[in-house]
Amino acid sequence: MRLSNVKTRSETGLDHIMHSINVMTPFGKTRMKEMLPFMPGEEERLNEEFRKLEELLSLAEKNPQTVDLLIELFMDMKDIGFTIDRSKNNALTVVELFEIKSLLLKMKKLTEVLEATGMNLSEEFILIDTLELLDILDPRKDRLNTFYIYDEFSEELANFRKRKRELELNVRREQKVIKQKVEAQYGISLTPKFDYVVSKSNKELVKIIKEIPELTADDEDYLSVTFTLKNTDETDLLIKEMDDLNEKMEDEELKIRETLSEEIFRFSEILIKNCVKIGELDFTLSKAIYAKQHQCVKPEIVTEHVVEIEDGRHLVVEEILIAKNKQYCPVSIRLKDGVTCITGANMGGKTVSLKLVGLVAMLTQYGFFVPCKTAKVGLSNYIHILIGDSQSVQRGLSSFGGEMEELKEILDQSRERSLLLIDEIASGTNPVEGLALTKSLVTYLKIRPYISLITTHFDSVTVGESIRNMQVMGLAHADFLKLEREIKYANRKERIEVIQKYMDYRLYSAENGEEIPKDALNIAKMLGIYDEIIENAKIILES
Amino acid sequence: MGLLSQLKQKYKTLSIVGMAKNAGKTTALNYLIEEAMDDGVVLGITSTGRDGESIDLVTGTDKPKVFLDTGTIVSVPVKLYEMADAGLEILRMTKYPTALGEILLCRVAESGYVQIAGPVNTKDHQKMCIEMLELGAEIVLIDGAIDRKSIAAPDTSDAIILATGAVLSRSIKKVVEETAHIVGLYRLSVLEDGKTRDLILNNQDVEKIMLIKGEKIQILDLKTGLSAGRFLDEAIDDETEYVYIPGALTRSVIADIHPQKMKTVNFILKDPTKIFIDATPWQQLRKKGFNIQVLENIKVAALTVNPYAPAGYSFEHETLLKEMRNAMEDIPVIDVKMGGEFCETI
Repeated sequence: MRLSNVKTRSETGLDHIMHSINVMTPFGKTRMKEMLPFMPGEEERLNEEFRKLEELLSLAEKNPQTVDLLIELFMDMKDIGFTIDRSKNNALTVVELFEIKSLLLKMKKLTEVLEATGMNLSEEFILIDTLELLDILDPRKDRLNTFYIYDEFSEELANFRKRKRELELNVRREQKVIKQKVEAQYGISLTPKFDYVVSKSNKELVKIIKEIPELTADDEDYLSVTFTLKNTDETDLLIKEMDDLNEKMEDEELKIRETLSEEIFRFSEILIKNCVKIGELDFTLSKAIYAKQHQCVKPEIVTEHVVEIEDGRHLVVEEILIAKNKQYCPVSIRLKDGVTCITGANMGGKTVSLKLVGLVAMLTQYGFFVPCKTAKVGLSNYIHILIGDSQSVQRGLSSFGGEMEELKEILDQSRERSLLLIDEIASGTNPVEGLALTKSLVTYLKIRPYISLITTHFDSVTVGESIRNMQVMGLAHADFLKLEREIKYANRKERIEVIQKYMDYRLYSAENGEEIPKDALNIAKMLGIYDEIIENAKIILES
Repeated sequence: MGLLSQLKQKYKTLSIVGMAKNAGKTTALNYLIEEAMDDGVVLGITSTGRDGESIDLVTGTDKPKVFLDTGTIVSVPVKLYEMADAGLEILRMTKYPTALGEILLCRVAESGYVQIAGPVNTKDHQKMCIEMLELGAEIVLIDGAIDRKSIAAPDTSDAIILATGAVLSRSIKKVVEETAHIVGLYRLSVLEDGKTRDLILNNQDVEKIMLIKGEKIQILDLKTGLSAGRFLDEAIDDETEYVYIPGALTRSVIADIHPQKMKTVNFILKDPTKIFIDATPWQQLRKKGFNIQVLENIKVAALTVNPYAPAGYSFEHETLLKEMRNAMEDIPVIDVKMGGEFCETI
């Protein structure tokens, strides 16, 4: 059974946060992609995950330079999985050998960087020694990040190469002698490559040059003839030997590449294990950096099924506010099995608070720290957020139809230790039936072992045994005189901002049956709806 | 001392650019490589696109591979690495992408033929040239744009070597004239540092035509002057001192501008590659008092001439060389195909 569906992961904001986690290595990316949530019963493993996160947080705290060094090492690591596979039956190419050597050097450096911290880090982050393989790929032991089939790999190859260079020199020396002779004898000057180019239009000259016994027409195009030195018997012999050498060198190089590939394959298991370790380090470090940057804390994991948040911030909303240079108003809430309703003013942040609970629960179960002052979480088997979206409309369903379809899914999927987050259900149909449906749903849910959090405008839903009610502070304590003065001179965009400024988004636990303040007309008025309409609505309300 | 040894004292990166296809760009490159071998200069070799194929992809004419000596630093994409005949020590794997894989920076360990290619993007190219210098190259040669129209702005390299030749025209006079015209454009005077330059640079990002009147700047809702000459003419008033045009400058852009205004206003362009006006109309414009400056010009380090055209005709190479030298005054001119000796630099 899965913990949640795609929509819940995206609506709570988990997806957004995952996108902001900046893993750098291909191994870290694989680790993140294969990430699974921790389910009830796995509390110990989750705590172990948090412990590793704390370990890297303290590393970042004590040795910020170490983090910079690690990031630098991570930055251009390449995936070598395919190369390792290939090393089994193939001779790796020089580029592939370079990549393996390069990664081995990085592994060595990484080990050194971690050792220098003097910290006793988790087994999962400590790489297995691969110095033996590095020595094989780096016969000069100069530890430079370069690669070539160096002479040091084989004495034979070195000798072949030396001989070839000698031959090249001999050929060139021989040619130079002839060049000088030709130049002196015919008064022409050859290029350093022993070429002489003649324009075809100059037929006379072409004819003369053709007569020179030491030269031969090497190349001819529609505009010119290129003459070059004819090979003498001696140079022919030298060139023949060079050709033979070339073949031998190629064979020898292939042999070396084969040997090196076999060695790499011998280490394949260790290499793959090390890549997994690097992935773990990269991913956990990224999570730690994110937690630090966003003031996230370790949630306390408890066995009873609760979600308790003190001063929680929804990170996606906070990000938007920070961009606008505004502050997030943190929200606290304590939830346990049974139904809790959030009621209160329009624009009071009910939906954001609902999402916040989902986000904190989801982050915890995926092994992340949470954006709160403190948090206490008991793991859930199933998390679902039911919130209006445009998808059902795109599928041709009305918003109510889509909602009911999803509600059915929730009821079918829910099991012990579920966390259900429901946003203003049945608000899209007539209020009489909508209210009845909501009340009945609450009755159904309140006796089940689920944490159900429901936002609603229907006061009477909150009335009843064992239904808890959280209310948004809203505009209850706002200075209306001041607010109205500000609203008066504001334009459309500013009006919204003024209301947001006076709105208190915090939640408080309301007494059973306490009346929900009616702010809808106030807010409609502030947003510029005509007095005529507002006044009339008031009359209707009173009658 | 060869041409290269002299250039190396002034420039760190040199692009070799052809005036047209088959103007002898690759021949010029090989000439300089040979000089480097003789003088023991450590070269960096790269190109603005794939290069070194045995056949020129565009025209199908013969295009030799590049023979590199040991020690040369060269950029090779991964997929061409195995095809190189030279022995290449991999020094660095870069992230600069090409259609043939990422670029490797290599040092030639065993001399031989290599197919070179460089990053496609100008910024990557600049960064890579710096890397090549770090790795020990004394000067980087860039096998540049195949014809000057596609030359990527002045910031690709410190200076260019312009390859020109018979391919431009059947008349020597015309070849020299057109080459001199382009060199003249490349060396247009640069707008000096000061208020006007700052005003333009601060507003350059909007890529709109700007009029500068004293301390004030007026930004027109025109990107180029193409087909908007009349609007431009109307916008220019008595107070206008400078007109900055971010896009192309063609005859049609200035055709509608009143001759009187033309004399009083200074036109400013980003760089000389934005000018698309031929030699003769350009001369006429200048005679009418058309003033133009650029934000950045292009240094021409040397000129190479190729007396052969693929169409089958050719010039007497000494005549071409002489005429070109007369027209160029202070720029060294060499005939790379015939190996003509390199004479004067002033």
